[in-house]
Amino acid sequence: MKKADFVSGLILGVFGLTMLIFVIPAQIETAPEGYISPRLVPNLTMILITGLSALLMLRSLRGIGYTPMDDSSVFFRSEMMALLKISGVFAVSVALFAWSMPLLAGIALIVGTLIALGERRPLVIVVMPTGLLLVVWLVFYRLLGTVIV
Amino acid sequence: MEYLLTGFQHVLTPVTLLWVTVGVTLGYILGALPGLGKATGVAVCIPLTFYLPPVAAIAMLIGIAKGSAAGSAVSAILLNTPGEPSSAPTALDGYPLARQGKAQKALKMGLFASVIGDFLSTLILIALAAPLAQYALLIGPVELCAILLFSLTFIGGLAGRSMLKGLIAAAFGVFFATIGIETETFIPRLTFGLLELDEGISLVPMAIGMLAVAEMVVQGGNARQLDQEAQAFADSSNPDDRRVTWGEWRRCLPVIGRGTLIGAVVGILPGLGASVGSFLSYGATQRASKTPEKFGSGMIEGVAAAESADNAVVPSSFVPLFALGIPGSVIAAILIAALVLHGLTPGPLMFREQPQMVADIYAAMLCASVILLIVGYAGQRLFAQVIRVPIRLIIPGVLFLCCIGAYMETNSIFSIYVMLAFALLGFFSRKLGFSFVTFLIGFVIGPNLELTFRQSLQLLNHDPMRLAGHPIAILFGVLTIVTVALIARSNARLAARQAADSDAVPTQQS
Repeated sequence: MKKADFVSGLILGVFGLTMLIFVIPAQIETAPEGYISPRLVPNLTMILITGLSALLMLRSLRGIGYTPMDDSSVFFRSEMMALLKISGVFAVSVALFAWSMPLLAGIALIVGTLIALGERRPLVIVVMPTGLLLVVWLVFYRLLGTVIV
Repeated sequence: MEYLLTGFQHVLTPVTLLWVTVGVTLGYILGALPGLGKATGVAVCIPLTFYLPPVAAIAMLIGIAKGSAAGSAVSAILLNTPGEPSSAPTALDGYPLARQGKAQKALKMGLFASVIGDFLSTLILIALAAPLAQYALLIGPVELCAILLFSLTFIGGLAGRSMLKGLIAAAFGVFFATIGIETETFIPRLTFGLLELDEGISLVPMAIGMLAVAEMVVQGGNARQLDQEAQAFADSSNPDDRRVTWGEWRRCLPVIGRGTLIGAVVGILPGLGASVGSFLSYGATQRASKTPEKFGSGMIEGVAAAESADNAVVPSSFVPLFALGIPGSVIAAILIAALVLHGLTPGPLMFREQPQMVADIYAAMLCASVILLIVGYAGQRLFAQVIRVPIRLIIPGVLFLCCIGAYMETNSIFSIYVMLAFALLGFFSRKLGFSFVTFLIGFVIGPNLELTFRQSLQLLNHDPMRLAGHPIAILFGVLTIVTVALIARSNARLAARQAADSDAVPTQQS
């Protein structure tokens, strides 16, 4: 956690400075005469984030408030793999939604996640998307009278 | 009182009762599944309520919150894996009871304590919110700005182990709330030319992404371990081991009363959360017991103490929401979206402008407590089976519902992109210890904080000396500084103690 805090403090500090110097001035116009600047609160929050991030880095460097257990990693391989797999399934599903139809996107999401998480039984892989899509159709299309397009 | 009676007339209709029952059942199942909490359930189901009448919609969401708070005891008792962190103390005695073959007894006591705590806390909400709101109406923008700042600092300081990270998360929440067209000058802020961002980032896809999708990814990574924990458990053949005896009732009723009081007080204070309530109640019960050494080995009082406080937190956390418009918990923050959507803006004015709607919600909350008892008691054995469903079969369904929930709000794929972006943010904030709860509360409070801050600047004419005319604002300003100092000192002491403990272990081993 100590190392992770240092790295996250560094990233957040750089992010805050980038927002303050480049993004906020470019993305928020100045206010007309007599108005409070619309940049005020975004700037204040970014100043706060940058300052607190610097403190976080400083604390992690000096090891204040950390125990030896905090030296262990915060990211586990299995969780990162799950993140990658589920991200991939979402990418395919979103692409199908944009370029074909919602039904295919739904099937891809359910089947893809099932397979990604290790389900191999053909019956489950067929029955689960069918059941879920049927329930959604009943609730949204029939009961609530709306559509997903 | 008259409004409340009319409220019962509105709620005691087949349609509303059906949706409350659906909400409670859904919440109970979600609560029973490790990792799927009430906030996830409510966030995913908000879009489902778009098409329901306002009272039925809010009642259903509150039903989910109540059902989930009670349901989280199921996995705590049967698996030693709390459905939500607030049920962790339930597992301390509930799991040993289950291993002794008394799972049914522990589950029943957990349910009864939950229902009593929840019901009494709802009565406290009804008694406190309206009078507090009358005082809140006397508060001006300068005072409200100071109160909001104090609440956010308090929540940020208490969420998680690091105050710095909590405050960073809160500042990020406020920052994201500034995206969109600024209401005074109509200048777009940080929209990057995207029309979809002109009205700002929507809370629903953001909350679904941060709470539900991110949690599912973490659960996906731990699926094998979770499935292994769902081992079979055996019930005793002795009928007394499957029910709560009168002797146990006599011992547990004072415990439930104390737990309810602790839970209600903790719920009213913004940011403390149900976990603090249940641990405090468990600790108080252990200290008050004649046999404190037996706690942790299967004392039914431990289950009663934890569950009554855990469930009492939910209704009482609506006191600051209803009276001041300040969400004291993540569930209250998410419920704001639902309340606004259905025409009720939380805050002191709602008691004056829509008293009947408020009374309807109160009636629905009381009915939800009774339905919770019926659903929980009737379906206890069934809900106990839910935890045996492998998590790999649950995740695809939840992710699918998350997508539908996010999409339904705007009927645009942009909401899905928002959900996925915040899912990623939620995943990394979980892993790195930045409180996503504080982030969401900061995001919800953000617009009001900015508005009152701007109004304060204009009222004070940019002169800090004029604050002298606002003693309440000064008080909350001082409280904010004191809170930061106290939390920082307390965290430093805790860290020093933990460091000393961890140093002592290798010394003893060597």
